[in-house]
Amino acid sequence: MFKLSRRSFVLSGAALAASTSFTGAFAQSDAAATLQLAGFGGEAEATAIGHAIERFNKKYPNVKVELQMDPISTGWGDYVTKVLGQFNAGGPADIYGTAIETFQAFASRNLFLPLDAYVKANPEFSDFAPSLLDQSKYGGKQIYIPIGWNNIMINYNRDLFDKAGVAYPKDGNWTWNEFREVAQKLTVKDGSGTVSQYGYEVPNQNFFIQPWLFTNGSSGALNADWTGSNMLDPKVAESLQFLHDLIHVDGSSPIPGSGAPMDNQFFAGQVAMISRGHWIVQGAKTNGVNMDIANVPNKASPDTVIGFGGYAVSKTSAHPDLAQALITELTSSATQVEEGVGGGGVPGRKSAAEDPAFAQFPPSAGLYYASLPHTKAVPSPANFQEVEKIFIRYYTAMMADEVAIAEGCKQAHDELEASFARLRAAS
Amino acid sequence: MATATAMRPSSDLSRAQTRVGYLFILPTSVLYLTFVLAPVVVTAVLAFTHFDPLRGSSWVGFDNFTRFFTDRRSLQIFWNTLRFAFFAVTFNVSVGLILALALNRVMPGWLLYFFRLAFFLPVIIAAAFVAIVWSYFYGDDLGVINFYLRLIGLPGVHWLTDSANAMTSILIMDVWKNTGFFMVIFIAALQGVPKNILEAAVMDGTPAWRRFFRITLPWISPVVFFCIVYCSIGALQVYESIVILTQGGPGDATRSLSILIVEQGFGSYEIGYAAAISVSMTVLILIITGVQQFLSRTLVQQ
Repeated sequence: MFKLSRRSFVLSGAALAASTSFTGAFAQSDAAATLQLAGFGGEAEATAIGHAIERFNKKYPNVKVELQMDPISTGWGDYVTKVLGQFNAGGPADIYGTAIETFQAFASRNLFLPLDAYVKANPEFSDFAPSLLDQSKYGGKQIYIPIGWNNIMINYNRDLFDKAGVAYPKDGNWTWNEFREVAQKLTVKDGSGTVSQYGYEVPNQNFFIQPWLFTNGSSGALNADWTGSNMLDPKVAESLQFLHDLIHVDGSSPIPGSGAPMDNQFFAGQVAMISRGHWIVQGAKTNGVNMDIANVPNKASPDTVIGFGGYAVSKTSAHPDLAQALITELTSSATQVEEGVGGGGVPGRKSAAEDPAFAQFPPSAGLYYASLPHTKAVPSPANFQEVEKIFIRYYTAMMADEVAIAEGCKQAHDELEASFARLRAAS
Repeated sequence: MATATAMRPSSDLSRAQTRVGYLFILPTSVLYLTFVLAPVVVTAVLAFTHFDPLRGSSWVGFDNFTRFFTDRRSLQIFWNTLRFAFFAVTFNVSVGLILALALNRVMPGWLLYFFRLAFFLPVIIAAAFVAIVWSYFYGDDLGVINFYLRLIGLPGVHWLTDSANAMTSILIMDVWKNTGFFMVIFIAALQGVPKNILEAAVMDGTPAWRRFFRITLPWISPVVFFCIVYCSIGALQVYESIVILTQGGPGDATRSLSILIVEQGFGSYEIGYAAAISVSMTVLILIITGVQQFLSRTLVQQ
C-alpha cells in the first residue's frame, strides 16, 4: 500500500504547484536544441536537477538536456582545470553549476555571459536574499545565479550540554569567552588526563576557520578585496592564538590537521561542538544526534562565512535563451526545497528556506536565514586554490605548535604575497 | 664476402615479410607513442614554459627549474621524499625478507597459508581505505594506539600532529601495507635456493647466520635487487597515504614531491612548474636506479 510521508507530501505539493503554474502560464515551446548542463553534487542534487529538467521539458519538449554531474570529490581546483580544459578544447557545456570558490577563476577569464537583463526580467528572483545576488557578481555584472548556500554555524549536541548541566546559548548568541568556558565544561577527561569527550573541534579546513577571523573584526587571511595578504593584521594572530589556546591551554580540542574532520566523532558524542554548515544536519538525523545550531561566537563582529553555488551560462552557448530558461527551473522553489531537504545546503530562496520540510530540524533552523545579513563570502580570489593551501599549511603548523604564531603569520604573508604577485604577472 | 652479402638485393618474399613485420608492431607502436612517449615529451616541453589552459604557453627557459631548486619549501619536500624513500625501501624489503625466512620452513600447510594470507592481506586493500583506518589508530586522544599506550601507563604520542613523529607514522603504515608483497616474492626466491647445498652446509656444521649470508642471500640477490629498485620507484612517488593521513602536514613535514606536483598543477594551475618538478623527479628516479644498477654489478650474484 502506498504510504505518503510528510516530506514526500510537501515535495509533491511543491512540484505540483510549480508544474501547474508552468502549464497554466506558458504554452509549450517548439524550440528544438540540445543543452549541455554541467552540475555538481551528490545523489540528492542529481535527483533534484533531474526533476527540474523534467519540469523544463514540459514546456520545452523538443529540447534535450544532457546532464553531467561532478561530485567534486577532489576539490574545486580539479573542477576548474576540467572546465578550462573543456573551453580550451572548444566543447564547453551551455550551463555550468559551480561554487563561489571558483567564481573569480572563471569570471576573470571571461567565460560566462552577463545575466543582468535576465535577472531584471524575472521579478521572482527578488525571493533570493539580495546579498546572494550581490556576491554572485563580478566586475559589477551578474555572472552567476545563486542556488543553495551554507554558512558556518556552531553545531552542538544538546544531550551533552544537558549531561554537563550547561545552558544552551541564549537565542543562539554568545561571546568568545562564553564559548571558551562552555568548551571547557564539555571536555571530559579521565583520571590519567585522557580525553574521552572534547568540548569543540578546532577546525582543520579553510572554510570552517574563517568565522574565527571574521568575528574578531578582520577580513580574514586576505585583505577586504582579496588582492593580497592580511596575515600581518594583529587580529588574525589574536584569532589564531585563541584557537591555539583552546587546544594547548584548555585542552578542549584536539590538534587539527590529523586526518579527516571529526564529523563521525561528533555523531558518536565524542565531540560536543563542531563548526559546520547545514550539510551536517543529514548526518545528525541519520545518527540520531539531538543537535541544534548557534551563531558563531562574537568578539568584535557577528559575521560568519558563507559559501554558495550558482549557475552560469557559457559565452559560447548557441542557445543562451534556452539556457536561461533552464536556469529558471533549476533555481525554482520546487528544486530548492528538494535540494535543501536532501541535504544540499540552505535554499537561496527565502520561501524555500521557510518551507516546513526544511525548517523542522534542527530546532533553531531559522537561525540559518536569520544570520544571512551577517555573512561574508569565503575569500575566493582567482588564485583561491593556492591561497587556501598556503593558509592551511601554516595554520596546521601553528596549531600543532610547529611554528610560533607570529612567525607563522609572517611566513604565510610572504608566500601569499608571492602567489598574488604571480597572479598579477599572469593576468 | 660480408660486403657481398650486405649488398645482395632483397627478394620480394623478404620485403613482404618485412612489411608484415612492421604491420604487426604498428598497433603497439602507435599505442606506445600516444600514451607513453608523447606525454613524456609534452611534459618535458611544458617544464620550460608558463602554461595557462586558456591563454596558451610562453617559453620561460630554466625559470621553473631555478624556482624549484632555490625554493626553501621545495627543497624540504625534496628531502622529505628522499628520506621517506630510503626508510621505506629499507624496512619494506628487510621486513619482507625476515617474514619470508620465517615462513620458509616446515609447518602444517594450513598454518603456512594462514600466515601468508595474514601478511599479504594489507597489500590487496586500497591504500586510501587503509590510510583512513590508520588515521583512527593514530588519533591523539581518541586514537586506538594511544588508548593502549595509556592503558599500560605510557604517555600518548602525537603520531600525526608532531613533525618529529609524522613521517615515522606514515612509514609504519607503509611498511605494514606493502611488506607482504615483498614477502611473497622472497618466499618464491627462497624456494629456488638449492636444498642440497644448504643440507651440505648443515652437515658441515655451518651456523644458520653464515648459511644465510654465504648461500641464501647471494643466491637470491638478483631478487633482492629487483625488490629494492621496485620499492624505490614506488616510494619516491608516494601520494595517497600521506594525503589522507596528514595532508602533507604539519606544515610541510610530510609533503612529498608527488603531492607538490598535484598541488602546483591542479591547485595553483602552475602546469609548467608542476611539469618541471615531474621532470626533476623522473631524473632523480633514473639517477637512483642507475646507482643501484651500478652497485648491483659488484653486490649481486650473477
